[in-house]
Amino acid sequence: MAISREAYCDTSALIAFMDASDSHHALFVRLFADPPRLVTTSLVVAEGHGWFLRRFDQGRALDFLSMIEACEPLAVISVGSPEIAAATALLRRFADQQLTLADAVGLHVMKVRRSRACWSTDRHLRLTGVPLVIDDT
Amino acid sequence: MIRTQISLRKEEFDAAKREAARLGISLAELLRRSLRGLLPAVNQPPWMRFAGAVQSGDPHSSQRIDEVVYGHKP
Repeated sequence: MAISREAYCDTSALIAFMDASDSHHALFVRLFADPPRLVTTSLVVAEGHGWFLRRFDQGRALDFLSMIEACEPLAVISVGSPEIAAATALLRRFADQQLTLADAVGLHVMKVRRSRACWSTDRHLRLTGVPLVIDDT
Repeated sequence: MIRTQISLRKEEFDAAKREAARLGISLAELLRRSLRGLLPAVNQPPWMRFAGAVQSGDPHSSQRIDEVVYGHKP
């Protein structure tokens, strides 16, 4: 199977894009202005929505979901039993790391889809060898 | 910049002033940002209007998501 040209998009990339205060904001504005095909998971969407709910309010959380809807190059993968099982194996393998289930599912998705890049500011997501986009800058 | 004059209801004005103060920006800047959020930007894809939609005040916000979403251990 050929290496995929798509990039995996983590919650942190979406937050850095929408939060003007974040130190990686300018980078992600530039990346999102002309993105490749992107893929993320329903867990990332739930995590991002939760961040806006906790940090701000329902209105901003809905803005986040509107951004996900508007971002046509971003495909959202549903997470079911096979993905949870694969992520659980990764959580066991990396039990010494502070990984969330959303992170582990992301690592699994990158492996299965042979992602060549990871849009994230979370260094846990390079555990399986996919480079983070923040490392290129 | 073009100067213009608009009329707001008292409660809209008060709420806008409060939000501007919370963000540490002027009322005019708040209204400009609100307009930018509503109007399609020229030559930009539609999702770009959400860039910088919030200001948390935390330069490491994207690296502290777990703390906010999942909380601290007691």
